[in-house]
Amino acid sequence: MVSVKPSEHLTKLNSKDDFLAFREQARQKWDSVWNGSATVVSVGVGSSSIAKGALEVLEQVHQVGGDVIVREVSGNGAFWMEPWVEVKRPGAQPIVYGPLTVDDVAGVIAGDRNDLAVGVRGDAPEGDIRPLNEHHFFQHQNMLLTRNAGVIEPDSIEDAIARGAYDGYFKVLFEISQEEAIHEVTASNVRGRGGGGFPAGIKWESGRKATNSPKFIVCNSHEGEPNVYKDRHLHECDPHRVLEGILIACIACGAERGYNYLGGEYPLGLRRFRKAVADAERLGLIGKDVLGTGKNVAIRVRTGGGAYICGEASALMYSIMGVRGQPRTKPPRSVEEGLWKRPTVANNTETLANVPDIIVRGGDWYASLGTEKSTGTKLMTMQGPSKLHGVVEVEMGVTMNHILNDIYGGMREGYTFKGMQTGGASAGPITENAFERPIDFDSLTDIHGMLGSGGWVLFDEGVCAVDMARYLTAFSRYESCSKCVPCRLGNPALVEILDRIRFGRGSLEDLALIRRTSKHIIELSLCGLGQVAPVPLVAFLDVYEEEFRQHIVDGHCKTGTCPIAARPHVGADLATAAAD
Amino acid sequence: MVQSNHTHAPRPVPSPYTGRQDIDLDVVREMLSHFTYNDHEEAQELILSACQEINEHFGWVSPEAAEIVAEHLGTTTTRVFAILTFYADFRTEPRGHHHMLLCHGMSCYVMGSNKLVQTMKDTYGVADGETTADDQMSVQVANFCLGVCDRSPVVKIDDEYHGHVTPESLTELVNRAIEGKHSMQENEATHG
Repeated sequence: MVSVKPSEHLTKLNSKDDFLAFREQARQKWDSVWNGSATVVSVGVGSSSIAKGALEVLEQVHQVGGDVIVREVSGNGAFWMEPWVEVKRPGAQPIVYGPLTVDDVAGVIAGDRNDLAVGVRGDAPEGDIRPLNEHHFFQHQNMLLTRNAGVIEPDSIEDAIARGAYDGYFKVLFEISQEEAIHEVTASNVRGRGGGGFPAGIKWESGRKATNSPKFIVCNSHEGEPNVYKDRHLHECDPHRVLEGILIACIACGAERGYNYLGGEYPLGLRRFRKAVADAERLGLIGKDVLGTGKNVAIRVRTGGGAYICGEASALMYSIMGVRGQPRTKPPRSVEEGLWKRPTVANNTETLANVPDIIVRGGDWYASLGTEKSTGTKLMTMQGPSKLHGVVEVEMGVTMNHILNDIYGGMREGYTFKGMQTGGASAGPITENAFERPIDFDSLTDIHGMLGSGGWVLFDEGVCAVDMARYLTAFSRYESCSKCVPCRLGNPALVEILDRIRFGRGSLEDLALIRRTSKHIIELSLCGLGQVAPVPLVAFLDVYEEEFRQHIVDGHCKTGTCPIAARPHVGADLATAAAD
Repeated sequence: MVQSNHTHAPRPVPSPYTGRQDIDLDVVREMLSHFTYNDHEEAQELILSACQEINEHFGWVSPEAAEIVAEHLGTTTTRVFAILTFYADFRTEPRGHHHMLLCHGMSCYVMGSNKLVQTMKDTYGVADGETTADDQMSVQVANFCLGVCDRSPVVKIDDEYHGHVTPESLTELVNRAIEGKHSMQENEATHG
């Protein structure tokens, strides 16, 4: 087992007062770093910035040395300024520089590279350098979950505690009852961030009422979708927030063990989370008789093996139990019979990361954010040819127009907008006519769109609709667990039909065949994956039917993507053959 | 003087899968000795993690290694293999001397990663999960997202990320990776 060692200097806290004293100490330490006489240099290290050389930059910062405190913080979601370095000089506010190379480091620390400054992390300008919050990428965000991103050292539990981590945990341990805690979560109306949108409070309540014991909490951190990295971001920038959410859920539901199930896709997030658990264990925030309350909580970290289907709750639990992750029929639901046949409450990482603030600031405060039915904020990511990229956190109810044009700066030069894929591989594209709709869990459903896990994929006129529909269907084909027939056989059939069209051998009947096969898969599949697998294809067919027809009738792919040139026309015969 | 808050922090970049490795069963046994459990339920929960660790270290899991996992955790080799063949991360055959993760996430797709997949097929005759005939380069088409979307399409060869890759630059990168190894060997030969 990869062992991540806790920090040596931490000692076990045995009581409420111990914790308060430790928190006070951590706060003082934090203040002394930021108000001291040494220059503080922080380097944003996350999986996206590592790819651009952040580790080399970090090493160079160590090399340059001088009387500086070097900190390894996480990325802050703004991919476009990576790798970045933040320099806080005595008596001034911290200034962020980026994107930079190893050669720029010495100049940046010495203070003569203001041309690389992106902004001031603070409210007032510093010379001609404007505050970072005035940059359009940050200006429109409401950073609650990600407020520590790029600020704390994810490997330091003291940094986290100084910035308010475990305050909510403290509250459920000492100040409020289980019922009150669940009441706050219910009042907040926080809904499942994995895409389902099921209210977390209801889940927790049934979890608490379950009489079987032991009970478990499972944090679903497996994001296998090909376009989402919000949970990875949360684990990398603030692992203690995720951990605190799991711990609060354990106490509120009376569960003695919490699990965090991570995909193998983000080793850095996994390592940082393991470090968080090790430190919290050493401090006595996890274990037997937590802070003298007599309550026991254990945390286990489990990793997946890169199967998208393991995002489905029952498949995830099978995966934890060491078998193939194949969903089962429900009922019984997992709150009745989940992991090891015990009552299990499964929540998405982002949902649980919302919980600490809900407990500390109250459910009513949280409910005031966002829209009436979809409260709070949402992490979102943008991919494709937009000007800027990264993870942002916005309130529910903003429009796509606002997200794309105001935050991400619109389309990149030389690209023409064609559509925006929503909901990962589980929903369809939207076009400009939906750009003014407020986005929440329910607002896009009538046009096959979906908020899902908040991943948007922008695509331009150079992308062929048929080919993209094939890509999305092929993804579902690849990720199908092969347990039930409609999904196992239906998705390959759909890919086959699409390939026929791509190769210029399709017929108009194929379009009807696509709809019929899709209906079979959607209605007859066992789990959520199969039930939505053909949705992107059907939606692409609705929106871009003209393009499908061009392939079939004119034998022409206007983007030149499809291998359509040679076109012996077999058409209808093949279509009937495939239907059999 | 450089002060760092925690000097013991390990280097945060994990470097799995690099280079072709045969499986040393003693190393596997050593790895597994850290997998301790209290009951059969916990032992079963560790099967996947154990496979993951072996796979990350060697790039693949051999039948012999699977047998040791099964023995250590009180289960059967069949069950371990059922897992190895279900989850996409696992390989049951050794990788090439170099390993490429070709990101085929949606961002990379939109920016043209299917051309790269095609290039690997046309130029080197390898598809997802395969290794070139000379054992030099194995390819994994990542059905998830590497999370470097501002540079898409992205490939990761061994430990190094490359962004904005085109079919032309891809062949150059592959050749350079393979030749890099050769020239190193040649250097050793001339100076040795």
